[in-house]
Amino acid sequence: MNIIRYIGKRLLFIVPQLIGIVLVCFILVKAIPGDPATLMLGPMASDESISRLRRELGLEKPLPVQFLIYIENLTRGDMGKSWQTTKPVFDDLLLRLPATLELITFGLLGALLIGIPLGVMSAYRKRGIISKVADYYGLFAGALPDFWLALVLILFFYTILGLAPSPIGRLDLTVIAPAQVTGFLTVDCLIAGNWRAFRSAAAHLVLPVLTLALVNAGPILKMTLSSMDRMLSAHFSVYEELCGLPRLMIVRNAFRNALPSVITIVSVLYGYLLGGAVLVEIVFSWGGAGQYAVQGVLNSDFNPVLGFVLFSSVFSLFVYLAVDLIYLVIDPRIRG
Amino acid sequence: METILEVQGLVKHFPLPGSRAKVQAVNNISFCISKGETLALVGESGSGKTTVGRCVLGLLEATAGSIRFRGGEMGKRRHVRTPELRGRLQLVFQEPAEALDPRMRIGESIEEPLRAVNLPAAERGKRVAEVVDRVGLTMEILDQYPLTLSAGQQQRVGIARAIITKPELIVLDEPTSALDPTARAEIIDLLLRLQQESGSAYLFISHDLSAVRYISRRIAVMYLGMIIEQGDAAEVFRTPRHPYSIGLLSSVLLPDPSLRRLTSISLRGEIPSPINLPKGCYLTSRCPFADDRCRREMPPAEDLGGNHVVRCFKHQEVAETERAADTFEEFQRTAERILSV
Amino acid sequence: MEDAILEVEDLHVTYHVYGKEPVKALRGLDFEIKPGDILGLVGESGSGKTTLARSIMGLVPAPGRIERGRILFDGEDLTAKSREAMQSIRGRDLTMVVPNPRAELNPLVPVGRQVANVARVHLGLSKAQANRAALEMLQAVKISDPERRFHTYPHELSGGMAQRVVIAMALVCSPKFIISDDATSGLDVTVQAQVLELLNRLVSEKRTAMLYITRDVGVTAHFCDRLAIIYDGQIVETAKTAELIEYPMHPYTLMLMAAFSQNPRLRSMWTKAGSRIASEAGRQGCPFAPRCVRAEPRCYQDSVALRELRPGHLVRCHIPVTR
Repeated sequence: MNIIRYIGKRLLFIVPQLIGIVLVCFILVKAIPGDPATLMLGPMASDESISRLRRELGLEKPLPVQFLIYIENLTRGDMGKSWQTTKPVFDDLLLRLPATLELITFGLLGALLIGIPLGVMSAYRKRGIISKVADYYGLFAGALPDFWLALVLILFFYTILGLAPSPIGRLDLTVIAPAQVTGFLTVDCLIAGNWRAFRSAAAHLVLPVLTLALVNAGPILKMTLSSMDRMLSAHFSVYEELCGLPRLMIVRNAFRNALPSVITIVSVLYGYLLGGAVLVEIVFSWGGAGQYAVQGVLNSDFNPVLGFVLFSSVFSLFVYLAVDLIYLVIDPRIRG
Repeated sequence: METILEVQGLVKHFPLPGSRAKVQAVNNISFCISKGETLALVGESGSGKTTVGRCVLGLLEATAGSIRFRGGEMGKRRHVRTPELRGRLQLVFQEPAEALDPRMRIGESIEEPLRAVNLPAAERGKRVAEVVDRVGLTMEILDQYPLTLSAGQQQRVGIARAIITKPELIVLDEPTSALDPTARAEIIDLLLRLQQESGSAYLFISHDLSAVRYISRRIAVMYLGMIIEQGDAAEVFRTPRHPYSIGLLSSVLLPDPSLRRLTSISLRGEIPSPINLPKGCYLTSRCPFADDRCRREMPPAEDLGGNHVVRCFKHQEVAETERAADTFEEFQRTAERILSV
Repeated sequence: MEDAILEVEDLHVTYHVYGKEPVKALRGLDFEIKPGDILGLVGESGSGKTTLARSIMGLVPAPGRIERGRILFDGEDLTAKSREAMQSIRGRDLTMVVPNPRAELNPLVPVGRQVANVARVHLGLSKAQANRAALEMLQAVKISDPERRFHTYPHELSGGMAQRVVIAMALVCSPKFIISDDATSGLDVTVQAQVLELLNRLVSEKRTAMLYITRDVGVTAHFCDRLAIIYDGQIVETAKTAELIEYPMHPYTLMLMAAFSQNPRLRSMWTKAGSRIASEAGRQGCPFAPRCVRAEPRCYQDSVALRELRPGHLVRCHIPVTR
């Protein structure tokens, strides 16, 4: 069947893409100025210990060999150590990535719930109130810095109203996290049947998710609106009107046609937010992966940074693959 | 009359992505065009006539067969024009609005082909003026953009652009299909006049049989990539010998309710897919005359005398059942009567 | 004498373009069509044919507006109807067939379902009933292998077949009136012949009335009962087909017919060289005067009304061609 061949070809393509990503990361590693050994040991280290470390790290070997060593290390899960946390980067990331993923997944879902209906309703009634609201909202959302919005929300809902929990992480200090199955706290709590922890995790998610949702609904809204406009003025929509089909049906059909564009922008946002949510993570002390990478940058701790780059590239890769498969399902023209 | 274009055994197959099947667009076509002559390629969508035009110009590389222009083989790397060939073959497109760059002024569009021919700047300006006059436009048009012109004017610009390099052969790909009937008539008149003045040959590709009858001396009817009948236009229109030609001609509707090419032949049934063409004659699924031999073998090109060539085993039977009639000729008499006041 | 199913009375439609002079697309259109009749409306681009088609359907293309006039469909004035009322009439009693069918069909929905949708919305059928009706319709329009084709998508069909689907959508509710807006112009000649034959049969079986809009006067001669020639938003000549073809009286009609002639002398007799002049809002006189070979000074100043010069044959001209 054509579809299976298509999927097979795409999966096959992933291999060279992955190699490409790894190669770029490796080049980035090597492009960092300064001698890694010196940086690791500090300015007080003796020449002898530096050269010993260099030999250990294999820095004397030719570049292709170093590349192969790099790949070999990666397959073993060895991305080097972070000298801040003194733990292997791989372990650090494994701890932090689920936090970020949980945050951005819910955030994006929220953005979809806000952006898409607003976009569709604006296109449905071009002169209504909702259309005007959506116009201004689209403008503001683009201009709002997410960390500023986060702080405002905290001020309002925590400091003034006392409704939200304090923004110091994913759980109350007094609550113990359940066993890690998926890494998503909410899901893990449900699996463990731990209601108290679940409520705490959910409560702590509200404000950061709201922040991300409100900010990212902007581009989703705009894309939905422009796609819907295009589809509603396309020949087939006019023809459906000529056939006397009710407006609701025409809008629904237009939406199905507009979907591919919206999915594209969602996939781009998803990949971006893995690192792009860092400011929100910092404000809420989330302990996420973006935060980790930023700390690495600020402290010249390179391994976390590179580890993060690799992870987020691979993540984007798989998101785009999933999106391609979704296109296959919704658009019969690709299947043909 | 010297032959300027000779096409022998032209084949063009387009591979389908993702499978081993091929779209057999052009299957073994042979024809020639003499200096100053118009040959019309007639057929419906899917007949391959546009593909033939593109192959002749070198816009597509043929799968097999030879194309000789003035005796010289056109060569494999068709998309790269050798310096001697530049400007000697030209093309007029179907959609005049799409053929012109919307961001270029008319003057620039018309001048563009001259850049490839290495003409000095002074000479270029003169040629542009000359050509604008010949197609019946005024010099003001040079500063305008295509958007402000009517379809008829745009097509005149397209023709001006084509004749500016003084080509020996012009391929016209449905030049009148996008135009209103009155504009259509004007463009055909223009093309005829230009041909008389310059002596260029035309390869006129069209499904508009009225225009074809008017402008061409010879006609080749195409069906699914094959020329099933060719000959002098008057002869083929009056006594078509291939069932498809008859089916085609009887579908033409002229402004006279009494004028309809009466025929007992009707083409029902499905057109075979160009990916999966049958072994014998391609018309067998729709032809009322088809028999086993037609289904087994592809009919060879048979010369009926006087340049009239047909690919049909049954052309004798067809001749016996069909009455000779050229509705276009008859309509001329009607038109003469009604329009002369 | 039967009552007309469609009566257009003094219809004026104007386009108000921001920052420019308003463009009068239709300037006092008057005609009527009886059940079972086919009226051919012949005009070139810019004559207002599409504006008329859309106005009758109640969907005047923006930024156009109906300034004056009535459109009586089965006795009721369509211009006075609400959007909802028009929406229930459209597609059921009053339908339209459009050119370029593949661009007009929803690319994501199988064609059979699109036909069934129309039936469901207007006839209140259940899903199964609508699917059955759609299948019958696909058979009626001679689409081969209708069960399989029911599930195909528009991009998988040829132009001719897609046009048949559009016709199926127009006929599935057994409408009283069909408008064909240049619907056969993009089709091959043999396909066009088959489609016209099909329309003719279906129309005569159900006594549907039809407005056949086209640029090609040749087709109308064989297909329509009456003809009307439209130029610059006005009907300039109308008569029964045989009468109009045999005795054309308006210079524009003669110019259109001359376009089919291969005699350059005849053509130049009726065609004035030069390009068309766009219509302006307050222009007096006959709109065709600038292009007319017979124009006199009064043609540029005084407007003309439609007059009956022969039985059933109306012409709008100061100096019609008589024999």
